[in-house]
Amino acid sequence: MMSANRQITLMVNGSASEAPAALHDTLLTVLRDQLQLTAAKRGCNQGVCGACTVVVDDRTVRACLSLAQNCEHASISTLEGLIEQVPMQALQRAFAKNGAFQCGFCTPGMLISAYALLKHNPEPDTSAVRKALSGNLCRCTGYTKIVTAVQEAAAALRAEVVTP
Amino acid sequence: MLQGLYHPKTVDEATALLAQDPEAKPMAGGASLVAMLNARVIEPAALVSLASIDEIKGISVLPDGRIRIGAFTRHRETAECALPLGAAAAVRQAASLIANATVRNMGTIGGAIAFADPGLDYPPALVAAGAEVEIASPSARRIVPAREFFVDWYLTALEPGELVVAVLLPRPSEKAHGVYIKHARVAGDYATASVAACRLGDGSVSVAVGACGPTPIVDDAANALLGTDRSAAAIAEAGALLEQLADPLDDVRGSADYRRQLIPRLLLRAIRTLEAAEGGKP
Repeated sequence: MMSANRQITLMVNGSASEAPAALHDTLLTVLRDQLQLTAAKRGCNQGVCGACTVVVDDRTVRACLSLAQNCEHASISTLEGLIEQVPMQALQRAFAKNGAFQCGFCTPGMLISAYALLKHNPEPDTSAVRKALSGNLCRCTGYTKIVTAVQEAAAALRAEVVTP
Repeated sequence: MLQGLYHPKTVDEATALLAQDPEAKPMAGGASLVAMLNARVIEPAALVSLASIDEIKGISVLPDGRIRIGAFTRHRETAECALPLGAAAAVRQAASLIANATVRNMGTIGGAIAFADPGLDYPPALVAAGAEVEIASPSARRIVPAREFFVDWYLTALEPGELVVAVLLPRPSEKAHGVYIKHARVAGDYATASVAACRLGDGSVSVAVGACGPTPIVDDAANALLGTDRSAAAIAEAGALLEQLADPLDDVRGSADYRRQLIPRLLLRAIRTLEAAEGGKP
């Protein structure tokens, strides 16, 4: 690597973490290889598959297309940091109940994209779910069970809101 | 020589940095550039991030009514732009069809057009809508029509050291409208072929074909024909004129022959969609 490592500070899941990062190191590399946060997966490393999807400053991004050094003043959430959230737990339960995965490699990215969808659309129809997950590839399930799971989670969350 | 990541706060600082080291690369959203770093297609020792330059962020209306999209405006913002855009509604529609929601959170209009992949959604929409590109060098600013900005495969009118600062959309008029029709293998893929069709403020019709050659395909005779006659026969004739100018790739997204056959068919859909959009206006 031609560029020297630099010690950077990332705000990940609510706490500051220090890690060395070279100029070309992506956020994904630092999360997985330095901070041992391995929920985000390295699939294509080209921004196509969506397995590395994380949340940066309230927007989903591809961790593999984000330079780590460029994320220094941002607030980063990975799946590890979102599992206590009620909507994420509803999604996880619905994925498990529906068998919405086989190998599980795409699941963290699917969960984060679905979480981002439910945040601004609590009652997505099938087409809205498919659109929201269109940047996440799954080579096992054929997507049907994933779409069902997201809609079930949305319904469960709506029920929770109206039932005290 | 520069080394590492730079965060200039102004366009002048950015162009000055790039002038110091021709090997340094400007970086906008990173959606294409970081993918190239990951693939080791490029290995620059220095990157000049444009993320801290406020002047090139966001969408605004200029005093003369034109609409300025800063180069560092994400595809999501352009897709969600609530301003009336007239012919450049085609540009907004193109933005909404780029890749997927997560990539639209990252990629920028300036980064996309400076990369100039022929399969991109913006180029035909910008060309058909009569947009312009504002370019900065260390010494000057200049404005180039989108039609002249795209020069060849991955080649633009940018000279070494120049940066895209903004995209300028023509002042929207009541009469103007625009649509963008994309044909892709799956949602979010690069276009196999695409057509943007606009009714401009002066009443003329302007169409451009994407992903069927190094740059968007435009034909003045086809535009003139469509301006006076929108029968199926006239559209077929205009489609044939555009098809003659096509130089499509034979690749995984479709054979060259398939792409040629798409042109008149997508043109018909684009013109009929444009008519429907116009008919729907009060």
